[in-house]
This record gives sequence, structure tokens and C-alpha cells, in this order.
Amino acid sequence: MDLGLIVYALNLGAIYALMAVGISILWSSVGIINMSHGATFAVSGYAAWLVTGAVKPLVAATFGKTVLASTLMAGTLVASALITGALCGVIIYLLAFLPIHDKPNFQVRALIITLGLNIASVQGLLWMFGPRNRGLPKIFGFGRWEVWGTKIRFDQAGTIVGAAVIMGLTLAWLRYSRRGLEVRAMMQNAEGAAYSGISRQVTALPVLMLTGALAGMAAALLSQTIFVSPTAGVIPLVKGLTIALLGGLGSVPGALIGALLVGFLEAIVGAIPYLGQRYVLFATFLFIIAVLIIRPRGIGGLLDDTRE
Amino acid sequence: MTQIRYHKVGRRSWEWRLKPTGVEERNRARLPGSKRHWLKWRDVHNPKTLKRERILVDKKPLWWTLGLSALVAVTPFLPNSMISVVSIFCIYAAINVLWTLIVGTAGIFSLATLAIVGAAGYVAAAANVYLGVPWPFMLLIGPLAGLIFGAILAAPSTRLDGLYYALLTMGVAEICRVFVTQLRALTQSGGAITNVDSFIPKDWFLQRPGLLLGFAGAFLLLLGALLVWRLVNSERLGMLLRVAKTSREDEAFAEAIGIDFRRARLMVFVISSAALGVVGAFYAMYFRSISPQIFSLDQLLLLFAMMVIGGLGRAEGAVLGAAVVTLIDKGLIELGPPRIILVAVIMIVVTIFAREGLTGIREQFRDFRKRKSGERRALRTEKGGEAMPEEATEIHDKQELYYRRFNKRLRDRLKKLISPELIEEHRLDPLGHHSDALARVLNHFRRAEMADKYVIHRMVPSEERFRVMAVSGQRGMPPRVVDDREYTEIREAYHAVFLLRVNDLLES
Repeated sequence: MDLGLIVYALNLGAIYALMAVGISILWSSVGIINMSHGATFAVSGYAAWLVTGAVKPLVAATFGKTVLASTLMAGTLVASALITGALCGVIIYLLAFLPIHDKPNFQVRALIITLGLNIASVQGLLWMFGPRNRGLPKIFGFGRWEVWGTKIRFDQAGTIVGAAVIMGLTLAWLRYSRRGLEVRAMMQNAEGAAYSGISRQVTALPVLMLTGALAGMAAALLSQTIFVSPTAGVIPLVKGLTIALLGGLGSVPGALIGALLVGFLEAIVGAIPYLGQRYVLFATFLFIIAVLIIRPRGIGGLLDDTRE
Repeated sequence: MTQIRYHKVGRRSWEWRLKPTGVEERNRARLPGSKRHWLKWRDVHNPKTLKRERILVDKKPLWWTLGLSALVAVTPFLPNSMISVVSIFCIYAAINVLWTLIVGTAGIFSLATLAIVGAAGYVAAAANVYLGVPWPFMLLIGPLAGLIFGAILAAPSTRLDGLYYALLTMGVAEICRVFVTQLRALTQSGGAITNVDSFIPKDWFLQRPGLLLGFAGAFLLLLGALLVWRLVNSERLGMLLRVAKTSREDEAFAEAIGIDFRRARLMVFVISSAALGVVGAFYAMYFRSISPQIFSLDQLLLLFAMMVIGGLGRAEGAVLGAAVVTLIDKGLIELGPPRIILVAVIMIVVTIFAREGLTGIREQFRDFRKRKSGERRALRTEKGGEAMPEEATEIHDKQELYYRRFNKRLRDRLKKLISPELIEEHRLDPLGHHSDALARVLNHFRRAEMADKYVIHRMVPSEERFRVMAVSGQRGMPPRVVDDREYTEIREAYHAVFLLRVNDLLES
């Protein structure tokens, strides 16, 4: 295995981790399987495309082609994607959580509503912007580094570092902040958390905004490698869901390990000449199904068992 | 003389009742080959007039017959494009009914339904096109393929929890799509198998007679799916599963009384997979081709939307939802992408407001009305024990109603008599001759029921120390002490009991 392959695997794993951890946190704390995570992804990508398109001439006029200008563009792109993702989270909160969180069949109904949101927003994007792919400005620039004889593209390195930073920030927030403590309490035992005075309604909003922002971040980072299109969210959604499942829904470390495993698996399967890129999805799903049949609660279940 | 207007109360007057004379014998025709009756008639009597009445307890068969026969009657007069919409509706409704069997009856949250349909369709179509099997045999190959595929899929469902399994089956659909598009033999057609032979003759294809024939086939398919649904649900398998339906406790209970519900679930899954295989073969024949489109997530979500809009887990919901969504999706095709948005919006609105889809609205509204009327009844503080009309219809013994009403009016009248002077009169002379008002009040108190009646207890036989107690009204249950006050004179104790009773009367 050479270094390029590892970097590629880490790149995939970083994106998957952003999606899967969001889905996992949301499921275990609030109890929503968020099927509109893919829609959040696509909408944030489009919002970033619109905002950067509007800001680009302005920045170019004021700063020219300096380092400051490109930093500013990168900041705008990431910020717009993050903010749009968080706003999508607010919409999900208003539609799929607030009206029904104390009604019967909450989990299935929330799943259905988020599914409806997903369909509606994908079709809405298709209707407004058409099926064409849109390229976002490359915030990490074009180019490669030479590390021990292998070339690493800037966008790959940037994605890995960016995802790691965001994941670190999220985990730190969960670990050290008051709100994070509440979220973790809800993840462990929602009922017990409610008894000790943690309001579900109040805590769900930041969780939904956070997971939305994670999807937005994933969109901003993935758009460095591929284009943005209305249906761009489907594959990340399916991958994110299955990886969250592989990690044992609700376990953050499980989701992280699962994302890395799947990233490496895909990179390796893609690199084997006989199989090639066409069988990547196939192999991933087979792997996940095999793991789930052997360990029905995924990697997280494995971790819990060893802890006990 | 003015006419008194009576308001209709209760739901009796709204229900349709036959009034048999009792002369001719009741027709008790049974379904041939079974012990079931065609309709669920029940003989009752009018509690007031004691006349015979006959009511139809389960009116669903009537609605089904009306709806389906309307479909058959109307379709031949529709334009060509609408006929194909109706046929597609029938196919989707059949798939949904079978899916309902898996989700509702078996309680397995599977999203691989279209994958089964597609896989069986592909196998049947390949057998026809590449092996030259004539088309009637496709209807045998399809269910066989569905059976095998379903059995493979069903295996992990006992090990995995609900949502895990749902996501896993979604993955299976994706695998099927990728697998079919990667097949070398099908690359030039984009993964599709075309030129499938069909029950519709080739020169009739997309002509009016062909469309009508296609509709006839699709309608029979829907009827078959409904038959499978009915057979599974009303026979032993469905009854076993109804025990273990809703919760973990029910599952434990079912296990405890010796029902192997896991096996029953698998059986239902496999049966409906085989039926879905028939649908798959029919699908390939109806369109004369089958493409990887059938495995796509969009198609799956559209079908899921149908079930959700109609009501998850009900056959009528599956059909109604299919009607709504197909009409929007295929009937309003000139609208473009907004029509899917419309479907999604309907789905969201229905899910937010309706507990169990469109077909559950009636029940939900009844619950709501019941709750509201209960709240209103509780709000009426003037009620004072008298039965309100809604409640009165539920009480069988009408004597009870009049007794309650009499008591209430009596209490109202006595409450007006209570005054400080009256209490003072009793305090001065608890036993002697009383005024008319006090005598009436005391008479009412004497007639009170034994339960919670106040008595005076002499605490030590030789001493003049008394306290007030209340008898339990039940044999063997000792009286309870009302308060800790002690009275040294019996007259004081008499008055204390009187005050307690007056207090109770005023509070009632």
C-alpha cells in the first residue's frame, strides 16, 4: 500500500465521518433518523455556490489576486455552507421535531417527514437550478505536494485537515461545554436526562443545527473534489446512514471507526485492478451487511461489550 | 300548544339498520369452501321498543366493492393516457398491498420490496428473452425467484432491529441496481432487458385494445394482491402475528404462550415476496421491458410516500395512497418537478397532522371528539352528579339516570335552606323539635348511604369523651377516624357531625 492510497482513503473517510457522526449523534440524542441529511448537504453546496459566486467579483475588485483574497473566499465558502446547514437543521427542527415530538409513533413519523423534506428539496433544487453540475471555487488551490515520492493534492490534504479540525471542535464541544454535557446525557438515556431537568425541546435545536452544520461542512469539503448537483446528496446520505449503522447507531467513536474502515475499504477495492471503481459501492454494502449480520449492533456494540 | 323539540343524542340515529320482520328465515350464505359469511351481519334489538334490528358491523367490504367496481366501470371510457395511469395505479397498489403485509402484518420494516419486484422481473424477463421460455411461464418463474430472493433477505431480519434492517434493505436495493448496471450482457441497453414477450399481443402494444387488456391484467393483479392480503391476515398466520403485534411485551407474551412469532413473520415475508415476484413478472410483461430504474431510490421513496399518505400498515391505506400519488405523479405529468414536491408536501402535512395516514383520520377524529366532549363534560361544574346526555346514552339502566337527577335537584333545594340561623338552631338543640327547614335537611342526611356515613365514637366506655368517625360501608373494614378533635359533651359531637354533613352537602 502506498501513501497516495492512504491519503485517498483518509480523504473518503473524513467526508464519511462528517456525515455519519452527524446522523449518529442526532439519532441517539433526539431520536430522529435524519433522511434529509443528504438534502442538507446538497442545499448547503448550492448556497455556497451562490454566495461565492456573488462575492467573488467583489473580493477580486478589492483585494486582487492576493493571499488575503483567497483566504477570504475560503472563509466565505465554509461559512456559507456551515450557516446554511445550520438553517436546514432549524427547518428540520420546526417541521420534523417540534410538532410531533410528544405524539405517538414519533420515530417513524420523523423519519417520514425528513424523507419528505429530502424529496421536496432535491426536486426543488432540480426545478430551480436544473440538473447541471456546478463547480465551486477551489479554496485550497490547485497543486500537489511531494511527500516521500508520492504526490498529495492540496484539496485532499485540505479536506482531511478541515474535517479533522471540525470533528475535533465538535467532540470538544460535546466533551467540555454545558450544552454538550446535556446532549451526552440525552444520548445515554433520554428519559433520565428529562428527569434531571434537561429539556428535549431546548436541547434538540442545537443538536439539529450542529448536525446540519456538519453536513454543510462535508458539502464544502467534498465540493473541492467533485461538483455540486441536486442529487449530490443521495450517495453521501446512503453512505452516511450505512456507516452510522455500521458504527452502531448512536456511537460516535463507532461511527468514526466505521468511516475510516469504509474509506480504506473503498480505496483498496478501487485500487485493485481486477475489480476497479465499478464495484466499490457493491463491496462496501456487502462488507456492511456482513458486519451487521455478525454483529447486529455494529462496531459501537463491540466497543460497549469490551467496556463492560 | 307548543311543540317540544327533541335533540337527537348519541349515534343510534345515524347508523343504518335493517328491520327484519322475523317471518322469513335469515340468509346465512357462506363463502364456498369455508365457514366464513359474506358479510358481518349482527342481530340486535332496539333497547327502547325491543324490536328486532340487523346491523352490518363491518362495512369495509361494501366500500371495497363500490370502489373497485367504480374503477372497472369508469376505466373503459377514459382516454388512452388515463387508462395507462389507471393500470400503473393498479400495479403500484398491488405492490403496496403486499408491502403492507410485510410492514403491517409481519412488522418487518423492509425497504427491499422494489428490489424483490425488480429481481424477480429481471429473472423472468431474462428467462423469456435469453432462454425463450413462453410468457405464461414467466408468471411461475417470477414468484419462484421472488421466493428465493425473499428467503435470502428475510434471514437477517430476525437478528436485526427494525430501523437497522430498514437501512440494510435500502442497501440491498442499491446493490441490485449497481449489479444490474454492471452486467456485461446488458451494457448496450443501459442495463435494461427489452423485447419481453407479453400477454398483450405485439401489434396491440400501446394501442387502445392493448391498453384495455393491460388494465384488465393489472386489475386482476390488484385483486390477487388483495386476496393474498386477506388470506394471510384472516387465517392462522395473521392471527398468530396479531398477538405479537405492537410491543416488546406482546412479543414476550406470544413467546410465553408458545407462538413462534419469528417464524410466522418469516413466513409472511416469504409469502409476500413470492407474490411480489408475480408482480415483477407482470411488470416486465406490461412494459415489455425492465430497466434498473426500478431499483432506484426515487422510485422506492415514491412508493413509500404512497403507503405513508394512505396509512402505514393498512390495505385500504396502501390503495388510497397509491391512487393519490399516481394521480399526481402520472396524471399531472406536464407540471414537471413541482409535482414531486407536491407529493412530498402532502406526505409531510399528512404525517404531521394524521397519526395513521388518510385512512386513519376518521378514527383519529373520533378520538379527538371523544376527548373534547369529555373535557367539556368535566368543565360543567353545575353537573353535580347528574348524567349529561352524552353519558346518558351509555348508561343502560335508565332508572339510574332519574335517580341521579332527583338527588341532584333535592340537593340543590336543600342547599338553599342552609343558613347561619339554621346552624345556630341545631347547635342550641341538636335533638329536640326542629323547624321545617332543619327537619328536611336532617331527613336528607339520615337517608345517606352507609359508605362514609359519620358516626360518634365513645372513646372510653366510662368517660364522656367522643370523637367522630366515618364507617367504611364494607363488611370487615373498620371505620376511619375523621379528625383528631375530641368532644366532652355528646351534644357537641352531634353538632360536629351535623357541620361535617352540611359541609359535604355544600361541596357536592
